[in-house]
Amino acid sequence: MPAGIRLCDLSELAEGPLGFDPFNEGQDSVLVILRDGNVYAYTDVCPHYGNTTLPWKKNAYLNNRGNRIVCAAHGALFTIENGLCVSGPCKGESLTPVPVIIENNTVWLVTSRAGENEL
Amino acid sequence: MNIIGPELLIFGVDDVAACKQFALDYGLTAADEHRYVALDGTGIEIYPADDADLPAALPTGSAIRKTVYGVAEQADLDAITAELSKDREVKTLADGSIEAVDDLGFVLGFMVTQRKTLELPAEAVNAPGAAPQRGLNITAVSKEDVGTPRTLSHVVYFVPDFPKAEAFYRDRLGFVTTDRFTHVGPFMRPAGTTDHHTLFFIQTPPHMQGIEHFTFHMGGPTDVMTAGTNMVNKGYQSFWGPGRHIFGSNWFWYFKSPFGCNMEFDADMDLHDDSWTARESMPGADNSQVFLLQYREKWAPMGPPPPGAGGKPPGAP
Ligand code: FES
Ligand SMILES: [Fe+2]
Repeated sequence: MPAGIRLCDLSELAEGPLGFDPFNEGQDSVLVILRDGNVYAYTDVCPHYGNTTLPWKKNAYLNNRGNRIVCAAHGALFTIENGLCVSGPCKGESLTPVPVIIENNTVWLVTSRAGENEL
Repeated sequence: MNIIGPELLIFGVDDVAACKQFALDYGLTAADEHRYVALDGTGIEIYPADDADLPAALPTGSAIRKTVYGVAEQADLDAITAELSKDREVKTLADGSIEAVDDLGFVLGFMVTQRKTLELPAEAVNAPGAAPQRGLNITAVSKEDVGTPRTLSHVVYFVPDFPKAEAFYRDRLGFVTTDRFTHVGPFMRPAGTTDHHTLFFIQTPPHMQGIEHFTFHMGGPTDVMTAGTNMVNKGYQSFWGPGRHIFGSNWFWYFKSPFGCNMEFDADMDLHDDSWTARESMPGADNSQVFLLQYREKWAPMGPPPPGAGGKPPGAP
């Protein structure tokens, strides 16, 4: 068992990305995406202003085709695989990865190794 | 050149269904398949980004495809055509409107305005020392109230060269700068309105060019609050606000949107004429707002009724 916070069952991500508030801040601060069998997690903060969340409604993290993460404020697009902004105001900057691991079909936020992505 | 203000904003978006639902929840009305309007008929048009009939997108991919201004009469269209044809193509479209591209690459349209003249009361306020604006026994609010957008108010662009933008709108289209943020850009109003601004530019690197937000005027601050609360209750996410700006004095509440830009509600903007001298201040939180509130789910400083108080406790079936 890692030192961490349980986020969700892996199967819950099959429906689409999910936002979480693991530190009880009153708004989502982590987003988790399952794509092609891999799980990606980032802090829910757009690098453009550096202190605002991405989606226009809860869990609306992806574009219509489902191949890019979107910041709704000004339309920045990020790759799912490495969080790199490929279009929009923060082009060239990246979302901050969050370390998560999967154990027994459960997605855990790893709190003992902040800043290091386990995946 | 009697430009009144923005009449229509035309978008090419990634998720048409989400944008249409957002527009309805924001309080606009569907006038036809594409057009969603405020009470006076000004509004937005929503198309898929790959619609072949839309003006080309900016290289940055911003969803704004055209900004259409309303003018008072045909003579204004003729004057704009004469002015802009000096150095660029001005197309006359089938509906009689004209189209040209500004000095930064934004596609502009101009049409004789079709907006309705509204006759609606402003939010009425009672204050000691002033005659009551609301009569006796007239209540101001009810829980069900949701403010409705009255008219398209302003649009804000990220631009790579605000002096160039300001010069174009001032020298070619008769806009006036009402105030400015140093190194950021001017607030501008066209000659046909006294609104503090219908246009604001924010200086950015070229890869950011596009729309930053757009907004409709509401009937007063309470309408901003009720419409914004309604958005929150529907699951939309606030970006900034509610609060009150310093330049323009308008109340604001911004929401992120599927349009790839923020959509604002605003109310009670200052009015100016040509005797006004533009102010200038440094940008930043301190000069952007008189105050900023932050939304919290409804709450009151009291628990359930005390035992024996009668009535149903909250949540009782
Ligand atoms: S805040 Fe995310 S694109 Fe501007
Ligand atoms: Fe605004």
